[in-house]
Formats: sequence, C-alpha cells, structure tokens
Amino acid sequence: MAVATIETSGLTRSYGEICALKPIDLSVPEGEWLSVMGHSGSGKSTLMNLVGGLDRPTAGALVVGGQDLSTLTEDGLARFRREYVGIIFQQHHLVPYLSALENVMLSQYFHSVPDEAEARHALERVGLGHRLKNRPGELSGGEQQRVCIARAIINSPKLLLGDEPTGNLDHKSTLMVMELLKELRAEERFTVVMVTHNEEVAAWGDRTIYLTDGVLVREERTRS
Amino acid sequence: MNRRRWLLKMMFQALAHRGGRTVLLLAVLAMASSLATALWIVSLSMERRIAEEVRKYGANLVVVPQAARLDVGSGGLNFGSIAEPSYLGQSEVERALSTSGITSERSLHLRGALRYQNADLPAEGVDFAEIRRLFPWWQVKGAWPAAGEAVLGGDLATRLKLKPGDRIELAGTAGPIPLRISGTVSTGGEEDGLLFMALPELQQALGLTGQLSQVRLMVTASGDSLKSAAQSLQRQLPSAKVNEVRQTAHTSEGLLAKVKLLMMLVTAVVLVSAGSSVTGTMSTTVLERSKEIGLMKAIGGTRLEVLLIFCAEAALLGGAGGVAGYLLGSGIAHFITRTVFAASAEFIPWMGAVSLAVSLFLALLGSVGPMVSVFKLDPVRSLRGE
Amino acid sequence: MIALKLVPHLVAFFGMATVALRGATRRGMLAGTALAGFLVGTGFAVVSTGSVSGQFSFSLVRALLALSFLLFCAVSFTALYQSLGGSLPVGWLERLSSRPVSRSCALFLASAAAGAVAGCRLGPAVPSWVWGALAAAAAVLVLAAVLLESRLPAGLSTSRAGYLALTVAFLLFSASWSTRLDLFAPLTMKVMKFTHDFVHQFFESMLIPDHLFIHSYLWGYIGLLFGKEVGFWGGLIIWFTPVVMVFLAIGLERLPSVAHLRQGAQRRRVLAEAIRTRRMRLVLPGLALVLLASAVYRSLYPSVEYWDPKPVPVTANAGGEIFLPRKGEIDLMDGKLHKYVFERGGKTARFFVLLTPSGKLTVDLDACAICKPDGYGQAEGTVLCYYCKTLIPLETVGKPGGCNPVPVPFTEQDDGIHLSGVTLINTWSGTVQSTTRTTEKGK
Repeated sequence: MAVATIETSGLTRSYGEICALKPIDLSVPEGEWLSVMGHSGSGKSTLMNLVGGLDRPTAGALVVGGQDLSTLTEDGLARFRREYVGIIFQQHHLVPYLSALENVMLSQYFHSVPDEAEARHALERVGLGHRLKNRPGELSGGEQQRVCIARAIINSPKLLLGDEPTGNLDHKSTLMVMELLKELRAEERFTVVMVTHNEEVAAWGDRTIYLTDGVLVREERTRS
Repeated sequence: MNRRRWLLKMMFQALAHRGGRTVLLLAVLAMASSLATALWIVSLSMERRIAEEVRKYGANLVVVPQAARLDVGSGGLNFGSIAEPSYLGQSEVERALSTSGITSERSLHLRGALRYQNADLPAEGVDFAEIRRLFPWWQVKGAWPAAGEAVLGGDLATRLKLKPGDRIELAGTAGPIPLRISGTVSTGGEEDGLLFMALPELQQALGLTGQLSQVRLMVTASGDSLKSAAQSLQRQLPSAKVNEVRQTAHTSEGLLAKVKLLMMLVTAVVLVSAGSSVTGTMSTTVLERSKEIGLMKAIGGTRLEVLLIFCAEAALLGGAGGVAGYLLGSGIAHFITRTVFAASAEFIPWMGAVSLAVSLFLALLGSVGPMVSVFKLDPVRSLRGE
Repeated sequence: MIALKLVPHLVAFFGMATVALRGATRRGMLAGTALAGFLVGTGFAVVSTGSVSGQFSFSLVRALLALSFLLFCAVSFTALYQSLGGSLPVGWLERLSSRPVSRSCALFLASAAAGAVAGCRLGPAVPSWVWGALAAAAAVLVLAAVLLESRLPAGLSTSRAGYLALTVAFLLFSASWSTRLDLFAPLTMKVMKFTHDFVHQFFESMLIPDHLFIHSYLWGYIGLLFGKEVGFWGGLIIWFTPVVMVFLAIGLERLPSVAHLRQGAQRRRVLAEAIRTRRMRLVLPGLALVLLASAVYRSLYPSVEYWDPKPVPVTANAGGEIFLPRKGEIDLMDGKLHKYVFERGGKTARFFVLLTPSGKLTVDLDACAICKPDGYGQAEGTVLCYYCKTLIPLETVGKPGGCNPVPVPFTEQDDGIHLSGVTLINTWSGTVQSTTRTTEKGK
C-alpha cells in the first residue's frame, strides 16, 4: 500500500444553508489516478477545489501531501498550490494577452523564477513547439488545453487536478489530451484527481468515485 | 529570465492588450498632471516676476522736504502745496546718501509749474538716464530726449494737441525756455499729466539751482533692513522726511495671493475630477480582469504578489502620464505666460517630480478600490465567472 | 539632560548588539560580552578624559574609529574582489574570523568603542548614580537586543561584510553626535588639504600667466579644486565607497550552480531562494547606508549651539591704543569668546579675546593663516573654524600655526587689555590678504 497523498475524514463544505459536500471520507494513495463522476451540482467540483487548496472545508480533516490544509492561511494555501498542485480547467483560463510560452512562464513566475528554455521544453512535450508565440485566441480548443496542461505540470506538481479537462473538446481532441496526460503521468509520477461527467474519460483512471448530492455513493476500480 | 524584467514585460503586454483604455487613462493622467504642473509653473513664474518687478521698479524710499506733502500713487497734483514750496538741497542729499552707506538706485526729481499759453503746465525735472534705469515700464513714443528736448505725458499731449517733433516755448520764473517735444510717455499713472525735462534745465528755468522736491530711492533690502535704512538716512537728513513706500509691494502681493488661490482651486477641481475619472476607468478594468486575478491566485500567487502586479501596472501608467504631463504642462505654462501675462515662463526641472507625483498619486488612488477587491476575491468564484 | 545626550549612543549600542547576535550560536555569552565591552569602554573613556589631558582621549577614540573604518574598507574591497571571482590567500583569516571566540572578541572591541564614544560624551566628572543608570540601561538594551533578534524573521541573513558595515556605521553614527569625535569633518578637511597641496605641487610649473596651453578659462576649472566643495565631495566619496563596495559584492555574488538538479522546478526553486537570501543580505548594508548618511548630516549640521557673539565695535584712543576693561560691560574672564571689530582708515579687523583654561587671556584675530576669514565659534572645550570646520582645543588658542586663530600682541594690566590698533589692522590685512589670495588663486 502506497502512502496516501490525500486523506480526508468527515470532510464537509456548505455554502450557507446548502450543503455541497456531506461528510466524506476519502483516501487517495500516491500516484493514483482518481476519476470523480457525478451530475452537475453533485459536489464533485467542490471536492476537487478542497483537495487543491482553492477552497476551505467547513468541517472535517483534510490532509494533502502531509499538510493539514485547514490550518493554512490564505497565502499559505497559495504557496501550497504553487508548490504542490497543478490545475487544468475546463475553460482553460489562459491569460489572453500573453503568448502560449508566456502563459506557462506566468506559472513559473509565481513559483520561483521564469525560465524560458524550460517553458519551451514543456510546450514541446505537449506537442506545441511550433505555436510558442501564439496568443490563446489564435489556438484551437485542444491546443489551448495542451497549453493549460503544460502550465499545470511546469512546476512538477505532486498532484494534478482536472476540472472537466475535456468538457469543451471534440472526441479527437479529448483522446489526444487524455493520451498526453497518461504519458506525462508515466514520466512524472503525479497523482491525478479528475472531475468529469463522461464515463469514457473516467475510464482512463485507476479508480472512479460517484457523487450524488454531495454524498459518495459508489466506488469502482477500473482494470488495474 | 529575471523576475523583474518578466513582470515589466507582462505589464506592457497587458497595457497594450487594452490599448484604447490605456490611452484614455494615460490622457487623463497626463492632462491632470500637466494642468497641475502648468498652473504651478505659471504661479511660480509670476511670483518671481512680481518680486523682481517690485525690486526693480518700485522705489521703496522717498525723500521729501519736511514741509511738503507726499502723495504717492495718487493721480492728482496739488499745486496748492507748491505755492509755498520747500526744497531739498541736492548736494546735501548726495552727501547724506554717500555717508549713510546705503547702496541704492536713485532718481532726483524737481517739480514745478511753467507757463504755457497763459496756463500753468506741471513740469518735472529728472535725469533721463536714471529714469530709464529705475522706471523701465515707461513707454516712450518717439525718442528719449536729448539736451533742449522734453517728453510729454500722454494725456497732456492729447489735451494740448502736441506731438513728437513739435517745438514749444515755455516761460519759467527765470526766463523763457524753448523746448522740442521728442516723445510722449504713457504709464497709466500721474506721469501722463506731466512734462518731463532735464533736471538742470528746469532748475535753471525756475531759478532753483541745486534744489530738489523729491528723491526716490530703490534700496535693495526688504522688511526690517529697509526700515533701518530709512532711519539711518533720516538721521543724516534732519530737514527732510524719509518715507517708506510699501504700496506697490502690497498691491502686487495681494494680487498674487488671489491668483495663487484661484490656481489652487482650479488645480484641486482638476485633480478631483481626474481622480474620479481614473478611479472609474480603473475599477471597470479590474472588474473585467477578475478572472485573471482568480487565475493568478489559483496557480499560486499570494495576495501580495497579485497586488504587486496591479500596483506595478498603475505605477507604470502613472509614471508615463507624469512624464507626458510634465512636458505638456511646461508647454501650456509657456503658452499661458506668453499670451496672458506677456512674460516668459521659467524652466523648472524639479516640477517634473511634482508632475510625476501627481500622476502616480492619481493612478494609485484610482486603483485602491480594485486592489481591495484583489484582496477579497475568491479564486474559485471569480474563475467560475461569478 | 545627560540621558538625552546619551540616547543616540545607546541606540547605536543596541543596534550593534542586535546585529551581532544574528546567526550566532552562544547568544548569552555574546550578549554578556557586548555589555562588558560597553561598560569597559565607557569607563576607560571617562577615566582617561579625567586624568590625561582632555585632548588625548578624544584623539585616541577618533583614531580607533578611523581604524575601524579602514578595516571596513579593506574587508569591503576583499569581499568585492572575491565575489568577482578573485581569490586571495586569506583562508586562514577567514577560518580565524569564523571562530566563535573571534566573534566575541570583535563584538567586545566594537562595544568598547561604542562605550568609549558615550564615555567621551559624558565627560570627566560622572556621579555614581549616572554610572548605575548607564549600566542598567545598557543591560536592559542588551536584553532587548536578544529579544528583538529572536523576533526578526529567520530569512534575514547576514554576510560578514554586511555585519561589519552596519557595526562600523553604528559607531560612526554614534560618533557624529559629538563634534570632537566626528570623523566626516576631519575627512573632508584632509581631502581638501590634500587636493590643495597636490594642485600646488603639480601646477607649480605652469603658474605662468600666459601659458601656451592653459588659457584663463582653464584656470576656472583648476580653481574648482581649491574650494570647500572638493573636500566635501571627495570626503563623501571616500565615506560611502566601502558600503557601496559591500552592496556590489553582495549583488555580484554568484548564484549557486544548479546544473546537477534534474528537475526544472527544483532548479528554479533553489535559484529563487538564493536570490531571495542575497537580497536579504542587502538589508544590513542598506541600513548602514542610511546611518552613514545621517552621520554626514549630523556632521554638516551639528546640533551643537556655537557661542558666536556679534562683534562689538571698539575704538582706539588718541595714541592709537585699544583698551578693553577686564570687568566692564563685558566680563573678559568668563571663559567665553568675546568678539570685537575695529575700524581704522577704511579697514576693519575682527578679533576676539578669550580666557584659556590655563587662566591666561589671549587676543587673536577672528581668522587663521590658512582659511578664508569666516571666523570662529565656541563649542564645548573648543573653538571651531567656520570655514574648514577644524576644532581647535581651547588650550592651544593663542598659539600660532595651522588653523589656529592668529595671535595678536597685547599687554595685560590689572585694569584690562591694551593693544595697538595699527598692529591689529596690519596683522589682519597681512593675514587676510594672503589667505584670500591663496584661496582664489585659481580664479
């Protein structure tokens, strides 16, 4: 049994009256690819945000990479995110006035110091070596998502979060992105937590959990 | 790549991305700082100029005979007092001046009446070289007089229908004097109603050789030292009366204070309006950019680091606006002083700092609200677009 | 009053102790050393000002301060040279200086110097309660330093040169509060005199009025070298050079090699951390810069009030003799500077009468044989030449030479002082003419 990267017990998150996440106990071992499935409003994004240090739990224990996130300050969480977490968004969220290369370098800037050669290398790894100087507006959805992946992995995170990474992509691009993630994971050995409502995408993971109305209803192990 | 250089590069790209708004902001900042600069330069230039004029033009001590009355600045001429005139001895005054050790410009005056076509004509004997030095605002139409020539006050010339080049014959108590009018003078003061001729000629014509009715002194001193100068001169001249003249200075200073107040009000209004417009523009910018802020926070920027980025952007704008404002403001100041005050503005390099400060202050003030929201923004919500 | 006088010195001591504790291992011992050093220094200074001639202890302390500045210069240059990649055979020195014992010794010496400055300021006669209060204050400050140091952020790292920079800056800052210990004024004077002499030696051969190459406008530039400004700017450059060197040395320090790290993120993290600590190391020299600047300011605008009476006009009797009564409107015997001005035949001469500490009256011109006749003012134990800011101890007033006021012959009788007006005017004319000519030769 590998060391648990994510360990929650009684993790709860409520927005006022609405309880987005009922007490949840979850343990994700290091290096696992966990898919989180559920309909919209089922609390899967809330879970991901909590795990990624973007949000704070209302109650319960949340330990990620040995750090108790509920004790960290806001800036402490920010530092945790830049050291430990890489995030891939459904809407990509690239800075519109920066080129692909500079978007990756922005992440480096917040982490430590910008390093152009390294950023270029990362983009080459995701197959965008020829589009370094293009702004996000000049890239296709799949390409934008690949910039987003390059940005997420540039700081060698231990934990990669995907918030419906293929939600806006066509079938072909989806396959390409998933293939890329699999390759990168094989090289970098990071843990993946991926939120999706697509069975096919979920099947890329080692394990899938199903959330309904903030409750973990089912858990399913994909073939080894 | 260096962090600082990267930050700068990012700033420029962000500003270029929102080209139109950047230009607008720059224009407002430049305008505000240029107006502040221009008004300040104008007021400083005027202040210095007025101080200079007071120093240069205003006689600040007047020596008159003990019995005579002094009416400085009043337009009328009281001939009644000349009916029983008393005079200062020219040699006595000169001796007193040299022994009292007062360094000053001076001009000697003798006033008297000459007969012209059966009427009294007020005349003043002066040394024209001294006049040109002490009263540079005299505008002489025609030529300055040579020996045997005279200058006529503008009003008098109109009344007597005389013009430069005319010859007139005046009668003094000691005999007739033929004079040629070489020019007319207009100052807007009592000089416009007088005839000016060389001092020795008038002294001779009136039979008052070596006598003076007034000595004007321009002592390079101010305040208490002027008072003490007056006192020491008074001790040397017991038969005369030494008066300080403060009127000129007082009027100019009062006017200047008012002008300054006006300028300050205008500046305040400009700054307030520019400030609110900058605030408005900046806050919409940051509202639009809340997604960017959210992203920066999500990928690990601490609040202070994100704040720094926005501060740096505001500072960059403010700096550029300040430099532009200084250049523009100096131009405006030159234009205003040239056209309105008919003087040249000074070149004041340190105003650049003022202009820069104004612009930076406005830009940073304008982004205070947005910066607070940077602090408060929740990355998850702003990314979701809430 | 005494307490207020000592505040800057205690502050300097406090700062010094705080800095010394940073990164140290045996902090209790160090704190004790600092306290002991301070008290020993103060005691030494107080005793020596009391027993040996007053001038001696001041000169000694000043020499010590100058020595520390020179040491600082040497260290800063070495640091810069090393961070530029040069290597010096000073390994043994570095090993020695990194021993805890040498650190304690250095701190002891530095605190002793700080104490000596404070002691010089206190003067010879110190009541015992002041001693107690001073010791208590120093002890409290040392404790406060220990507390403050432990509260400072851990990231605030120091370098040896930076540490020395701040310590020396604190010492010089402390010294600048006393005009007799201030180093900047004598430095500017030395620079001024050096340039003066240098130019004289160098251009002696060219002092031909219609030289082929040196036109009159060039004399304008050479004239610049004769002004007070040369001393000031030259002094300023020397004053700030070492600390700027330290800045450069830290700024140019090589970043650690990261080639062995395979992972990019880790590489960058190491670099960022190195840059951050390097920047933190600049804090100490930065503080030193501020302190040195304030020392210059103190030196230029000392808070000391100079006793500078308005010259009283005097006249000579029919025999051309000036008489000043011993006890008249002005009491000549009160130990203060009394200035007079005498006029004769369109020429005026300023002179002063002063009772020296040895109990003798002296009459001198209000000018010296070197400087422009800007005159003198009196401060505690000294008179000061306003032009070159040289302090002349009261003991030596009345002796000719250097920047001392030029003595005037006089006869002292029971009723007062008699001196000849003609001699006075002649001495003044001779002196002032020659100094004016010297100082304006270039123009």
